[in-house]
Amino acid sequence: MSSREDLISALSSDLQSVRPVVNIDLMAAAWLVLSALYVVAATHWFGPIRPNAFSQLAAEPRFLVETLCGVAAITLTAFTAFRAAIPGALTSRFAIVALVLMGVWLACYGIGLVSPALEPSMLGKRAHCIWETFVYGLPPVLLAFVFTRRLYPLQPLQTAMAFGLAAGMIPALYMQIACMYVPAHLLQFHILPGLMVVFVGATIARFGRYPRSGD
Amino acid sequence: MTMTEQGCSNFESDEARWAALMAAAQAGDEADYRLLLSEVSEVVNRYLRVRFGNHHFIEDCVQDILVAIHQARHTYDPRRRFRPWLFAIVRHKAIDTLRRQRSHQNTLDRHREEQLIQVQDTAPAQLEAGVVHGRLIDALSPPYREAITLTKIDGLSVAEAAAQLSISESTLKVRVHRAIGRLKRLVEADSV
Repeated sequence: MSSREDLISALSSDLQSVRPVVNIDLMAAAWLVLSALYVVAATHWFGPIRPNAFSQLAAEPRFLVETLCGVAAITLTAFTAFRAAIPGALTSRFAIVALVLMGVWLACYGIGLVSPALEPSMLGKRAHCIWETFVYGLPPVLLAFVFTRRLYPLQPLQTAMAFGLAAGMIPALYMQIACMYVPAHLLQFHILPGLMVVFVGATIARFGRYPRSGD
Repeated sequence: MTMTEQGCSNFESDEARWAALMAAAQAGDEADYRLLLSEVSEVVNRYLRVRFGNHHFIEDCVQDILVAIHQARHTYDPRRRFRPWLFAIVRHKAIDTLRRQRSHQNTLDRHREEQLIQVQDTAPAQLEAGVVHGRLIDALSPPYREAITLTKIDGLSVAEAAAQLSISESTLKVRVHRAIGRLKRLVEADSV
């Protein structure tokens, strides 16, 4: 008997039944809803949000488009990350669309430095928005690892970074509604700490017990 | 039926059969799983040989892929097609093996150079001693070296060694199996 036949025999003998993973898109949607609810609740719990934020969404089309662009970018990034945790579930086209949309959303704030979507104002300023954004992003990234601990990411580091990006950008986006609107402030105190969560994801993948397909 | 239609028909029938076999394997059906692994290993073997040629590491790669399929079998969603799931693993493992192969080859080349210098002083009887004292073991890539050292020299059980390396028992068994094969080849190469 060849060694390959030996291996096949070894793998198939005493085979235990396994529970197939739930639909990965459903898992991603559940994570997204739970994370968004948590971030909104935590943000409201720890301070008042900008008084006129929701009326601005209705009255200022650019602000609405910018916000919806962020929602779409975060949603696609989350789906990309979850799909990447299962072999063959993620297409490169889907990942590229998510990345481009994330780039477009962030570029909106870059454009805002020259031509802001809203009249810049200190109204609604939160004293610790930079720390709030970073800390609020941590539970969602940990939750993503809990959700995907049984999965088999072929590129664990990239998958973990995508989780970090999606998780960090949820509070970063909501902080645009909760805190003051000044583009330079948004980039420095909301987007930057949101991006730092990417490194948290990478660190967990590198040093934590995140599934490694190479093992 | 034309040749093209025949080919498409085979492609689709294989796809449907493999998906059904994997669904049965997820439910614990050993016979279906054995059949699936046998068929898939042949397809993967052909796929790799067409792309990379008839290198000796292809067989290692096929076996790595079989282990990966085993470890990831719960992630196959029967509502999705089987081939994208399978070939995502195949491509990833093939690249991984090539990468490891290159670094292993460098180690092996260095080892052989050292052996050429020492060959005149090396008696065949010393080869076994070389294995035991780690000279030949050092030529193995780190995962194989750790696996063989823990199980065959330190005397740990498979479960203990697997726990120490944070890998599954099946992965450890495969590494030990491969390490022994490589040591055999090294000993044979040294004997010439």
